Amino acid sequence: MNETYIPQIIGFLCNWCSYTGADLAGVSRMQIPSSLRVIRVMCSGRVNPLFVLKAYLKGADGVMIMGCHPGDCHYQKGNYNARRRYIMLDQILKSVGLDQERIGLWWVSASEGKRYAQVVEEYTNKLKAKGPNPIREEIFI
Amino acid sequence: MPAKAASFPAKEGIQKAAVDFLKKTLEQDCYDALLIPVKVPGSSSYAWVLAKEPGLLDEANPLPPVMTIQGGRALSDLTKHGIFKHRIGAVLRPCEYRAAVELFKLKQLHLDNISLITIDCPGAVPLKDFHNNYEESIKNYENILKTWGEDDSIRQACARCHRFSLADLDDDASPTMVDIHIGILGGDKDQILLIPASPNGREILEKLDLPLDQSLESWKSEVKKIKKKKTDTREALHNEFKPEISGLEKFAAVFDQCINCHNCMRVCPVCYCQQCYFDSQTQHLSPTNYLERAENRGALRFPLDTLLFHLGRMSHMVLSCVSCGACEDACPVNIPVGKVFSWVADETQPAFEYSAGMDTSEPLPLQDFLKDEFCEVETPCECGDIKSVEVKDNV
Amino acid sequence: MSNVLKIKKETSEGILDFFKYLLETDKVKGIFTLKKMNDSEARAYSLITSLDELKQADPFYPVMPVNAGKVLSEMTLKEAVGDPVAAVLRPCELRAFVELVKRVQADTENILLISLTCEGVFPLDETVNGNLGKQLPAYQDAAKKGENAAGLRRTCEACAHFIPGLADITVSFAGNKDLDTGCTLVLNTPMGEEFSRGAPGTMGSGEIQSQELTQLTEKRKEARNKMLQERQEDVKDLKSLVTTFAACLSCHGCSHVCPICYCILCDFDSKIHEDEPSNFESDLARKGGARVPSGTLLFHIGRMTHMAVSCVNCGMCSDVCPVNIPVAEIFSMVGDPLQEIFEYLPGRDIEEAVPSGTYKEEEFTKTGEQ
Repeated sequence: MNETYIPQIIGFLCNWCSYTGADLAGVSRMQIPSSLRVIRVMCSGRVNPLFVLKAYLKGADGVMIMGCHPGDCHYQKGNYNARRRYIMLDQILKSVGLDQERIGLWWVSASEGKRYAQVVEEYTNKLKAKGPNPIREEIFI
Repeated sequence: MPAKAASFPAKEGIQKAAVDFLKKTLEQDCYDALLIPVKVPGSSSYAWVLAKEPGLLDEANPLPPVMTIQGGRALSDLTKHGIFKHRIGAVLRPCEYRAAVELFKLKQLHLDNISLITIDCPGAVPLKDFHNNYEESIKNYENILKTWGEDDSIRQACARCHRFSLADLDDDASPTMVDIHIGILGGDKDQILLIPASPNGREILEKLDLPLDQSLESWKSEVKKIKKKKTDTREALHNEFKPEISGLEKFAAVFDQCINCHNCMRVCPVCYCQQCYFDSQTQHLSPTNYLERAENRGALRFPLDTLLFHLGRMSHMVLSCVSCGACEDACPVNIPVGKVFSWVADETQPAFEYSAGMDTSEPLPLQDFLKDEFCEVETPCECGDIKSVEVKDNV
Repeated sequence: MSNVLKIKKETSEGILDFFKYLLETDKVKGIFTLKKMNDSEARAYSLITSLDELKQADPFYPVMPVNAGKVLSEMTLKEAVGDPVAAVLRPCELRAFVELVKRVQADTENILLISLTCEGVFPLDETVNGNLGKQLPAYQDAAKKGENAAGLRRTCEACAHFIPGLADITVSFAGNKDLDTGCTLVLNTPMGEEFSRGAPGTMGSGEIQSQELTQLTEKRKEARNKMLQERQEDVKDLKSLVTTFAACLSCHGCSHVCPICYCILCDFDSKIHEDEPSNFESDLARKGGARVPSGTLLFHIGRMTHMAVSCVNCGMCSDVCPVNIPVAEIFSMVGDPLQEIFEYLPGRDIEEAVPSGTYKEEEFTKTGEQ
């Protein structure tokens, strides 16, 4: 496997918790792999499963959804909905034989800069071991 | 119509020859990518692929045994939202090309940077037969390639298709948008003819070092022969069909099985509306309305307005109907939609002296008018009489 | 135990007597059920208001030209029916109707919901090739014995939810050994009882369960497991997924006949999922080729995210597919485990919220904390 392979991960980060947490990690000069491209959304509950699915089917090696811990959502309930949507997407991918590990949900709060760095590092390594998403080369999807 | 064409060796059959030619056009940078049906790995079915890698063409076929998505629609899906920076080539059956012409007039596709390649088309097998009985369909298709319309296993629309070659051949020689037409009829069976129909087409053949040294006579005469046969068949089939479906009772009976799935509309290349009128809110009324209508007649069929959908769709698109038969292939209950629509198309397009997909310079009938025409339907008529509208004979 | 109305006629005839009574007494303004279309084998749903037209009704003819739940939803989308109407729906059609009510797309008011213990329907192909009539005696026989009839829609022979839960009246069909000699209507609700008071026949008491029904349920569960196992091969990895949907024309017939897919303009029919040239150009740069139109898998899997949680396995999607993709079976494979995770059964309880529209604060507590 290519030593220089860097997984291309798309991340949907909620503005109030996880994006701020990511910001904190950056400001604290923590080392974060260059694998993750961040898309800021106002709430993890705003993430349409189709965003995640489309990114995955277009060939993203991994897709991360990050939001506030349950109970801490800036809009009270958004992350509860996000949690259900992720569970649903996870099961659907399992059922149709696609690698559901390439999609994940993490709760990262605004003060968890370290957790953010850890989570991205761990996930990047996991995806590195898997290799690129085979869908990338698939023409007939 | 050009005087001469180029030849391309076809020792291993027509399809291989055509694909080899197309591979060369890609390799020699005549365009950056080619839109062509390609067999899906692990399957017997074909999908339209925009291929940049010549290697992808190994499983390509310009004349697959079935029509999957109508090529005009595929071209529209590709180009409707803008102009490509890449140069694209597209290989289409004549009916798919005609649909593309209509879509062009309807502003549903862009043709900038697109080279259009058409090919003589013997027809295809019905989509259902292909999926219900693959082995038999492949055998049937081989017969279809040999007999050009005389095999019973052919799609209904193809059996009555008389526009299976380059349009220019007609007496109404019309401006065309075809760049190269691949002639597979007539002449030497060890070669195919590459007929340049535009300066762009000529350039492509020049780039491939293919001299225009072949006579078109043998091809023309073979095409004319088959065209005469097919035109007669078309007329005969339509005349046979007419009494079977004429009158309200018989016409309504054609749609007895209709489940209102609207598949026919959705696969039709000319039906391009993002949301069909007949799927829209305008069709939703209150249950009071439905009960009233039910009480008027004793019963009300659901889903509603089956005939309104078909006749309404007819009024929307039959003047651009190219008789491709995609509708018929898609109907889950085998209603001869294609038969009905192409018959009506043959009876209505001539009223405007219009042939869908033929003359690319001719505006769509309903997007144009002459100040003085159809005085027969005006009261009082200029001439002082009220005459009945005469529909010209089928072309 | 419920009140049961027994009409001493063959089931398909007895029900017509019941409908005649409802219309004659003006208890309902119309009967919504299958009706013969002239002399062909075609049947279409019809709102019947006259006794004359009622003679052409054929409520239990084993075909589903359209999911009746979808039609009733379109009927009651703007407002509830103003006058009482009786509607005959198969259990899956009824469950679909209930799912639509939950989504504020339908209204049950004034509708007398009549269903049956369902023996299943034949694929639409059988009405087209004229073979359905010949299969009716064997079908009837299987229903009496509590066995699966041959040649049904795959989703029917694999349907374990063929005993309707929320009907006002359930007609005993599958698992009824007296199908030919009596028409048995089990009155489940006060509305069912009210409309049946005074109807021709004898009132008694009873219930829908029987040995034959239990037996049939087991057979259906077996058939379902078998079907799901067979389909495993079709969707076990990317390659097989691509092959399974290779022939897809993107006609979207499946979503358009699906009762749960109610959106007037589907996401996947809208501009959102259409491609600009730049999308194709970047695909070309990356992969050397691109399927046109794009998004074949995105449509199917995307549709799963929208409705699999409410899929009632009626099988309309497979029937309408022009290229024989076993859509219904694949969606069953996806819907079953999904519904299990949320402990949900579509159409079981009208008050039960659709999983994708609700949540619990304490659930899946490990998710997200890894």
